Amino acid sequence: MNKALRFLISSSLLLILAPLISGCNDSPATGPDSAQTDSQAPQKPQGRLFGASFQTLNNPFFVDLGEGLQKELEANGDELIILDAQFNSLKQKNDLSDLILKDVAGIFVNPVNWEGLKGSLLEAQRKKVPIIIVDAPVKEADEELIVCTVASDNVRAGKLAAEALAKVNPKAKLVVLHLSVNKACIDRVAGFKEAMQAYPDMEILDVQEAKGTTEGARPVMRDLIGRYPDLNAVFAINDPNALGVISALDSANKLDKVTIVTVDGSQAGIKAIQAGKLHSTSAQFPKEIGKIAAEKMLAHLKGEPVDKDVKVRVELITAENAEQHLEAD
Amino acid sequence: MKVVKQMVPLLAAIIILLLLFRIWVPSFLTPENMLNLTQQISVNTILALGMTLVILVGGIDLSVGAMVALVGTTTVYCLTALSGDTQNPFMLMTAILAGLGIAAVFGTFHGIAAAKTSMPPFIITLASMLIARGCALRFNGGLPMPIKDEQTWFLAIGNGRLFDVVPVPVVIMLSLFLLMALLLHRTRFGQHVYALGGNREAALYTGIPIVRVEIMVYLLCSLMAGVAGMIHTSQLYSAEPGSGEMFELTAIAAVVVGGTSFTGGRGTMFGTLLGAVIIGILDKGLNQAGVHYSLQYIVKGAVILVAVYLDVRRNR
Repeated sequence: MNKALRFLISSSLLLILAPLISGCNDSPATGPDSAQTDSQAPQKPQGRLFGASFQTLNNPFFVDLGEGLQKELEANGDELIILDAQFNSLKQKNDLSDLILKDVAGIFVNPVNWEGLKGSLLEAQRKKVPIIIVDAPVKEADEELIVCTVASDNVRAGKLAAEALAKVNPKAKLVVLHLSVNKACIDRVAGFKEAMQAYPDMEILDVQEAKGTTEGARPVMRDLIGRYPDLNAVFAINDPNALGVISALDSANKLDKVTIVTVDGSQAGIKAIQAGKLHSTSAQFPKEIGKIAAEKMLAHLKGEPVDKDVKVRVELITAENAEQHLEAD
Repeated sequence: MKVVKQMVPLLAAIIILLLLFRIWVPSFLTPENMLNLTQQISVNTILALGMTLVILVGGIDLSVGAMVALVGTTTVYCLTALSGDTQNPFMLMTAILAGLGIAAVFGTFHGIAAAKTSMPPFIITLASMLIARGCALRFNGGLPMPIKDEQTWFLAIGNGRLFDVVPVPVVIMLSLFLLMALLLHRTRFGQHVYALGGNREAALYTGIPIVRVEIMVYLLCSLMAGVAGMIHTSQLYSAEPGSGEMFELTAIAAVVVGGTSFTGGRGTMFGTLLGAVIIGILDKGLNQAGVHYSLQYIVKGAVILVAVYLDVRRNR
């Protein structure tokens, strides 16, 4: 029994320690619990608890998005719990039901699987917890279960990229590096193709999957250079992809012959523009997505009507305005 | 009685964890939250039950996460292809049998390869994890496959409630637990499993059919992963070829926290159930207490280490 006792002591010590550490930065224990006890009463204007579940937090885009949410909610006197689904849709489902059963005032979800969220949405609806989807849409059939979707205007981001390319090379022979499992990327390519129709001399030689990562793009690009000798432009689906393209072209000594356009606006992308390796990136504003999503949630809780589909601005970054965007962060 | 005594620390840890989280999150012990806890642990528990058998014979099965994905995609593919928009019990059974059938093929292969060759189970199942994942990604170009709303029976596997109270996954989990506990603790097969894990050579010389036992063990583990895959798929309203990653590791964690020796020969199904409950309570409690996600990893890692360390000391 002595050993059993020891087990008890050490496990309880761990659990006492954990809140102490976490208490330093976000003091979770007090605010939410006091709101909990009178959850029957009408919504308190302040001091509410909100939840967020992101498909991953291992990407600066989502960390920024979370910051945007948190800042806006805290300015209103509310709190936010952010959970990391680690690209695991079952974990996301469990995380969401934990938040729902904790009676949070509202939840922000960035879905792992845009077709797999229905069970959670129904559960939230039963408990009358409003849900706002951020960054990527859910199935159209599920849209009635949510307050709204707040995401970058990805179609426009694609259009901006096509127009930027047309300005320097209206007869571009280009390849597209795609991530076709992702709805945001599907929209970007659709926007690109739409804008391309105004430039009949532009031609897409090939569309290839490149995983949306730097490592994914490098070998794909190397093969494409070999296959299409007249290739002179690339539309990469995001900044990491574009960086892989740059590295492949650089090692083939062809960087000066090819114009690269992309979507994202990360700091690494902007630096590549300044170095003259990347032509343009259609910047997204994750902090703004977070801020707007939080505003929509607060408006919804006040009973104000909210647009179903909220598009957040995107902006073209080229060598001309790269400097100011680098300073912004 | 010895078995009961071994469970005391685990039960005590569960009670303490529940009380601690109750202090922290006032609504933690509500029946609704507890019922939800049992539902949340169902997939991991079912995987861990199968994993317990494999670890008891001194093996390991890294493929269960990929199996969850493969069984899900196979079943939904067959279901959609066979029945279209209509519901038909015969077609549903066929689709489920197709899913479990593919799991059985993998499980049997693992068993034969582990028993008949000197390839380590770690490598065998690592390879078939990749193969199973690849097969799952062959369906629908690697994209999720939605389950039609008309398939209410299949959707009930993960989302339904028995008598409007107990979630169906929990009913399945408890039935499988009883089945596996009886199999391990009340049958000759169970005795053979312990003998094999305790000392393979000795088991061979006492005339235990080790090949048959080992095939059975890996087969059962894959079938458990198959059932878990059905529940998982139904809960998500879609089959996801990329899902189930790292599930094998959470299952292994539940098994070892539950007191099963990693070298085989010692452990119980009840211990595994308690291990899965402990991990489930930690997940839920830390989430609801609003602990930062980075700290959740650290706490869970530390709890696993402490639990296994104390277990190892106790049995030295």
